[in-house]
This record gives sequence, C-alpha cells and structure tokens, in this order.
Amino acid sequence: MADALTADEVFEIVRAAVARVLEIDPATVSRTTSFAADLHADSLALVEVVEIVEGALRARVHGNFEIDDDDIEDLETVGAAADYAVARL
Amino acid sequence: MRIAVDLLGGDHAPDVVVDGALLALDADPSLVPVLVGPIDIAADALAARDARDRVEVVAASQVIEMAEHPARAVRAKRDATVRVAARLVHEGGADAMVSVGSTGATMAAALFTFGRVTGVTRPPLAIVVAAAAHPVVLLDVGSTVEAGPGLLAQFALAGAAYARVRLGLEEPRVGLLSVGSEDVKGDDTRKAAYDAIDAALGELPARFVGNVEGSDVPLGGPADVVVTDGLTGNVLLKGLEGMLTRIAHGLTAVAGDDPVVHRAFRKATAALDADTVGGAILLGVDGVAVVGHGASNAGAVASCIHAAAQAVTDGVVPNVTAALADLVARRRLAAGPPVMPASVTT
Repeated sequence: MADALTADEVFEIVRAAVARVLEIDPATVSRTTSFAADLHADSLALVEVVEIVEGALRARVHGNFEIDDDDIEDLETVGAAADYAVARL
Repeated sequence: MRIAVDLLGGDHAPDVVVDGALLALDADPSLVPVLVGPIDIAADALAARDARDRVEVVAASQVIEMAEHPARAVRAKRDATVRVAARLVHEGGADAMVSVGSTGATMAAALFTFGRVTGVTRPPLAIVVAAAAHPVVLLDVGSTVEAGPGLLAQFALAGAAYARVRLGLEEPRVGLLSVGSEDVKGDDTRKAAYDAIDAALGELPARFVGNVEGSDVPLGGPADVVVTDGLTGNVLLKGLEGMLTRIAHGLTAVAGDDPVVHRAFRKATAALDADTVGGAILLGVDGVAVVGHGASNAGAVASCIHAAAQAVTDGVVPNVTAALADLVARRRLAAGPPVMPASVTT
C-alpha cells in the first residue's frame, strides 16, 4: 500500500535509479544533487530514471503510479523528484 | 529462433519489412520472423504475398516517427512497434529484435525494456566492417551523436569486449577515430578522449593504439576496434557506402552493362554491401537488438534478421556482458569509479 512507503524510502528508490542509470556511487547523490548541473543527465537519462522509478513504485504500491511527462523537465534535483513522487503516491 | 521485426520501421515499410522477413525465412527455414505492428496492415501485406501462414504477427498499434524525440516518444507510446518488440524479447516471446526505423527509438526501447549491463550508460551501435587487412569493429555508428571523453572511453571498453567475443581476439587493438594519427590531432573532445581511453584500457587485455584515420576502417589499419561518436561514425559509414555506389556508377560509365565487370565488382564489395552485411548491434543492453538503415531494402532487412539470429546463436549478449564486466571490474580496481560522461542522444 502507498502508506507503507516513507518519504525516505521513496528518496532511496529515486537515488538508486539515478545511480544505476548514470553508473555512479549512490553515496554521491543527495537531495540537492542537480540532474543537469551536477550529473549532466540528458533527456534520455531522465526518462530512463523516470521509467525505473515508476516501475519500482508500482511494484511497491501494487497499483498505478505515473509521472507526468510534462513535469519531468521541471524536476531539477533528486530531492525534488522524490518529493514529487511522494505527492503523487 | 524467433526474431521480432518492427513492421513499421524504415522508409519503405511495411512492404520491404515483410519481403525481408520472407527472404530471411527462405534462406533459413528454422527462423520464425514475428512481425510487430498493426494486425490489419500485416494481414494485408501477407495476403498480397500469399504468405499468411508463414510469418507470425504480434499486434502493436503505434509507430514512432523519425522526427519524434526518441525517449519521450518511446515513453509516451507504450504500444509502439519497437516498444512491443522489445517487450516481446524481454518476456521470452522472441529471441531478438530488429528495426530499420528510428535508431534513437530502438535504442531507447531496448534500454528501457532490456536494461543496461555494467559499464554502459549509453549503448553504442557497433558494426563489423570487412576491412581489407582484417575485420574492424566500428562504434558508435549512430546511437549517441554527441559523446564526451568519458563516454568514448566506455565505447572503447564495450568495443574491446565485443571484439573479444565476435572476432575471438584476446587483446584487441583499440583506436580513436581522428583527423590524424598523432596524439595532438583532433578537437578538444578527441584530445581528452585520447587520455581517457588510454587510462580506461590501461593494463587491461586490450591495447590502445592511439588515433586512427577514416581510411583505417575500410583498409584495416592498426586497430581492430575503432571508437568514435555516433555522428562521426554514422557519417563515415554512410560515406563508405555512398562511395561503393559511386564506384558502381563509374563502372557502368566505363564498362557499360558488361556482366563480367559488374559481377566482379559485386563479388569484391559484397562484404561491405549494406544489403548483405546486416545491421548494427546495440552493445550494453541485456538483449539482442539489431538496427538497420532507414532506407533498407528487403535484402538489407533479411540481412539484419540473420545478424540478429547469429548474435543469439553466438551468445553475444551474455559473452559481451561477461567480458565487459571483467574489463570494468579490472578498471575500477585500478582506477576507481568512472566519471559520469556528458552525452546527447538523438
């Protein structure tokens, strides 16, 4: 269920996705890490992160969870992405 | 062997795709081409060829156009032909996928669906060129048009792993495509990539031979693996193919329709002909995906299907994955984690 996931757990899911897509150490990714300025993540990387996060959260909440395509470019930091996901759960 | 084929990919779909699937089947009856696309379009095309019972069809209702942003389109169009084809492979309904449509969309579909293997953030497209002196793995030939030094170093590792598997080389020689063989030649990216590849390969069972030139690809120069960004690689590949066509035209002007001359030319260049060589394979994704020219004819589509089947038979994915993991593990042990590369994908 959605309420089984804490904000910290959602952040860990996002952080793991970012680390996996960009092949970096998860420990180097914090809430304030910027996708563009710090990670140089391009649009393909961002979409891939979104796909992984959606899949992981769907599995955890046993239901539908989607991130709006129009919102992807507005999520500037990893923390902002995690907060966005928490709000939509 | 079941090969999922994007019915709507390419400039001349669906006709050349269907004809290519049937050609592949004629040459190898053990193949099962699975056309992925709208059922009605597939049915009409197969009926027109009296081939309804020869090929399987899996429904997919959407197509990704060449002008669309690949990643966003693949994400938005869950029922796109390339996405369904990738899903089919991932879920075990097919052994490999082939598309002669949008390269970026095929790469994104494969990446999102198959997943990546260790050591790869952007899967490069690799092709084996039957060069005069020895085969040459050329990559990237169109997957990522802008690649920074870190990404080019990744391509070098992936290319070395592929050469070990595909060409059976214990210590592949890796070169960086530039405008001259001296280490000071090239733009800032090439100069930085020179050092990055040198450091990445280091003490690994692969040898960096420095810069190589475009002519080293068809002739077979000092490198078994030639690394470049997707833009330059694609330009080089199409330039080589265009040159073959130009020479064929020149022969016609000189020798007319002399069948002996043209037969000799075809024989001499068959190993370089896009219609017979097969497509390029995506390295670094956990599944076989082969991409062909948008302008492919039926022969080229059939060739891509055969190349995909051969890649499955050869175990290219598990073997490259293992070879790459080995190279990456050694590299990380020696030099620490890689720097995140900057890249732009079409």
